[in-house]
Amino acid sequence: MSALASGDFWAFVGVVAGIYTILALGLQLQFGFAGLLNFGQVAFMAIGAYTMAILVVKEGWSTWLAAPLGVLVAGAAGLLLGLPALRLRSDYFAIVTIAFSEIVRYVATNQGSLTGGSQGTIALGKVGEAAQYNGEWERFQERVQDWLGIASKDVAMLLIVWAAALVLLTLVWLAVRTPWGRVLRAIREDEDAAASLGKNVFAYKLQVLAIGSALAGVAGCFYAWQFSFFSPDDFQPLLTFFAWMIVILGGLGRVWTVPVGAAVFGFLFAGTRFLDFRPLSYLSGADRAYLRLVVIGLVIIVLVLVRPQGLLGKRDEMVLE
Amino acid sequence: MSAQLEVQGLVRTFDGVRAVDEATLDVQAGSITGLIGPNGAGKSTLFNCVSGFLRPQSGRVTLDGKRIDRRAPHRIARAGLVRTFQTPRTLARMTVLENVAVAAPRPRNAEARAAKLLELVRLGEHADALAGTLSGGQRKLLDLVRALMVGPRVLLLDEPMAGVSPTLRVELLDHILAVRERDGVTLLIVEHDLDFVMRASDRVIVMNEGRVIAQGTPDQVRTDERVVDAYLGARHE
Repeated sequence: MSALASGDFWAFVGVVAGIYTILALGLQLQFGFAGLLNFGQVAFMAIGAYTMAILVVKEGWSTWLAAPLGVLVAGAAGLLLGLPALRLRSDYFAIVTIAFSEIVRYVATNQGSLTGGSQGTIALGKVGEAAQYNGEWERFQERVQDWLGIASKDVAMLLIVWAAALVLLTLVWLAVRTPWGRVLRAIREDEDAAASLGKNVFAYKLQVLAIGSALAGVAGCFYAWQFSFFSPDDFQPLLTFFAWMIVILGGLGRVWTVPVGAAVFGFLFAGTRFLDFRPLSYLSGADRAYLRLVVIGLVIIVLVLVRPQGLLGKRDEMVLE
Repeated sequence: MSAQLEVQGLVRTFDGVRAVDEATLDVQAGSITGLIGPNGAGKSTLFNCVSGFLRPQSGRVTLDGKRIDRRAPHRIARAGLVRTFQTPRTLARMTVLENVAVAAPRPRNAEARAAKLLELVRLGEHADALAGTLSGGQRKLLDLVRALMVGPRVLLLDEPMAGVSPTLRVELLDHILAVRERDGVTLLIVEHDLDFVMRASDRVIVMNEGRVIAQGTPDQVRTDERVVDAYLGARHE
């Protein structure tokens, strides 16, 4: 049980929750505000991470140029996907997004010359050389540690990720309070009504898809930096659904419910590894790891039964139509 | 007066059934024109074609001389032709005020203007309530002012009286008449309540089986044999 008391361990949990916050924030904007069902969010995370890593390793770019471009490319990918796919009805759009996310993962697996293939980013460089894309980031992290006088790398990362998450949360929070955000909610409520009032529904959806994808790109860069290595396997569709769980846990249609959902999710996800008492300890460690999915599934089922609006959502909005 | 909205030879079929069959009609600027006809006459399909929600197979629609058929619904609305729906399309989880403010083409002062419009139809006290809590009749009113917020020159109302309580009907009629007088908006109204149509309209257009079978003043239409036939189902040889 020593890990329970370890600050570094919980800092790590917090870092992952911060990354998930950014990933899920994109979904909240898309679904919670504009009613867009995106089941392929992880694809844009992968595109952001891979663009950054490839540019650093293969093109020798600075991280500080490669990362923003990764975010931009992720956003552009959302735009390109949206151009044809947003013409579909919402449920068909959802199917296309999940297919797209699998296409991205398969391309990453099979285009070894571009992505390092199934070996992951370690194979990005020359044969026989372990490629590294995060040297510049590590130095930045150390500078943050020195500046704040923190010994722990994980705590420094925690502060960086959450600072970024807070900035992005604030930006989205401000954006949805503008007339632009009001139109998004109108589209969520009734597309035809919004169109009848002169709103270009397609254009708004396209914007939201691109912004949400760019947010996933940001999450992808942080993910890459946090783990120093990644492979196509890191971008399974399950990740998208983790982000969905966070949005549902926190509550739909609100910005500040996302970090709450992510924190609860992160706690449940990490906490279940401490379930090593009998009879659960009869299970192997790997089997027990799957218990966390069961626990989170149960929590969501119970939540939907007793608090369908999420932990912090407003109930009176749920019953209206 | 000149024709502000012209529909020429409009055809729309569903699986071979001609819901609108070469319909030709015009709506005079500044008029209130009633569009009536039995169920299935093609009135709603015509509305959907004119407002861009359905694409006609052939025919043309012009607004102030400019063709608007084949345009997307939002572009038609921006061009000055705004429609409401048979069942009100309330944005339920937004406030009443937001429902109206969102319709503003330019966001400047949208809330203030929306609040003023809501006062006009006496929905002011509900401004901050979620629109989903309004009654059916109030939703009809809300849809009407929301459509006005877009700044239309022509307003298409699809059965504004349907589902509205008798007391609210009187009020709604006043508001509709005021839309023409005060805002100078041309109105085309589909309505089953013949009493309302005959009282409010300058001109009445009658459709049956996808075609326009008669048009004229309420008095002319009332005595038109084809109209009587269409409604009563009788056939004169």
